[in-house]
Amino acid sequence: MRSIDGQQGFIYLNNAASSWPKPQEVLDAVAESLRSPYAGEGRTSFGEAVNYPDSAREALGWFLHFDPPEHVVFTQNATDSLNLLIHGYVRAEGGRPHVITTALEHNSVLRPLHTLVREGAIDLTVVPFRDHRVDPAELKNAIRPETRLVVMTHGSNVLGSVQDIGAIGRYLEENDIFFVVDGAQTAGHIPVDLSRTPVDAFVFTGHKGLFGLPGIGGFTIRSPDRVVPVRQGGTGTESRSLVHPEGMPERFEAGTPNYPGMASLIAGVRFLESVGLEKVERKGKELTGHLIRSLQREPNITICNETPDLPLVSFNIEGLDCDTVGYILGRGYRLIVRTGLHCAPLVHQAIDGGRGCVRLSLSWFTTREECETAADAICEVARGADSQVSTP
Amino acid sequence: MRILRSVRHKACADGTYMKEYLVDEPVTAGFLDHLRTFGTVSMLAGIRDGFFEFEKTHFFSMKGFVGDLQFEVRFKKEFMDLTVDFLYLLCSRYHSGRPDREFLHRMEGSIQERIKVRLGES
Repeated sequence: MRSIDGQQGFIYLNNAASSWPKPQEVLDAVAESLRSPYAGEGRTSFGEAVNYPDSAREALGWFLHFDPPEHVVFTQNATDSLNLLIHGYVRAEGGRPHVITTALEHNSVLRPLHTLVREGAIDLTVVPFRDHRVDPAELKNAIRPETRLVVMTHGSNVLGSVQDIGAIGRYLEENDIFFVVDGAQTAGHIPVDLSRTPVDAFVFTGHKGLFGLPGIGGFTIRSPDRVVPVRQGGTGTESRSLVHPEGMPERFEAGTPNYPGMASLIAGVRFLESVGLEKVERKGKELTGHLIRSLQREPNITICNETPDLPLVSFNIEGLDCDTVGYILGRGYRLIVRTGLHCAPLVHQAIDGGRGCVRLSLSWFTTREECETAADAICEVARGADSQVSTP
Repeated sequence: MRILRSVRHKACADGTYMKEYLVDEPVTAGFLDHLRTFGTVSMLAGIRDGFFEFEKTHFFSMKGFVGDLQFEVRFKKEFMDLTVDFLYLLCSRYHSGRPDREFLHRMEGSIQERIKVRLGES
């Protein structure tokens, strides 16, 4: 049980939405960033301050095994990155390209793509998933001669299944199809090595597994000239030119950067490196397995994926809608979870007829005791669902 | 019982509008008896602190815990302009166990008539 400023304790299992708590190092780094003047290229004459944009690019590039650091672009979050990449790529491509995505996607992918479908700018194929995963062979079968772009998640935010982006990426690379991967749920939870994974653009967000603040995210991009920048403005460089600079990273960044967000991201990534991502992944799997085994004790709990790769467990209790379960867990047991569709409507159409579910998501800071308390609470609610008493 | 303020709100995917209210006295078994006069109250017996749900067709549903100072209400959006006031009355006319039911049933009937008109049933 954790407490904030003397409030009654609670258990936080909503880390797939936003991680909490943040490491002390992150809190200290953000506080420090607010105490000092900011320094970004071309924006100050003060030479002794930390250059957060450059340092953050170095940190993220190193963490994701990606070079060069100038090709790490910062945005507000994963949704912002996906919008820039999807709209920018389709505008650069022109015509009416065929695009492939999957039924595992978050609305951050589905909504930009469906906006383009409605505008008549693309043709779209949505590849279904089986056993929580998209079969690379099925995705290959969906490719047509006019297919130019594939956008897909690395890890499902509902099922916790990691997709085989290596195999898919290699095939797409051979066929010169631009490949955008949404890593919102994987960055910081499992090792990501972009030096060995042929991905054209890998999207991350700061506020989940990377332990940063909300409002900072970004993407890596191998060939920036394949995406048209859809934002222009001040960069602190080439200021005489009325045309937005084409060089990296300015091509995709305009306006004053989120310095505290970058400070949090640098500290979050360094924290993960100090712990070791393999250790983070191992602990996540161990606690998730423990949680699942505990929930399996109750026959009226349906677990959406009993073997997730990521530290999250989604479930429903027979006889109770997921929002009611979330309410009971929150108000009655001080257990913070996420309920509903998780912005992934197609996943829910496939697994629960669009009803939605309850999701528990863990972080490095989640303890075994918290998982046990949470499982006991959920099992108690499940048993209670069997004893519903109604009076007219 | 008085509603002090709304502490949370959300437009839900199922077409309802959720509001969570803070009240000036805890929900009691007596208050649930009061609610039963106007709709269906369900309780989950095995759950800590006495979880309840109240359902009044076309008006709203309510969920909360006995002893709590907060409860959640989901309004049918299309009738919310008619039913929000009824929720406030349902609470304020409870008077700590001495409810003014005659007045409330008159109000309930009047709102139900207006709902029927909207539904094209009269």
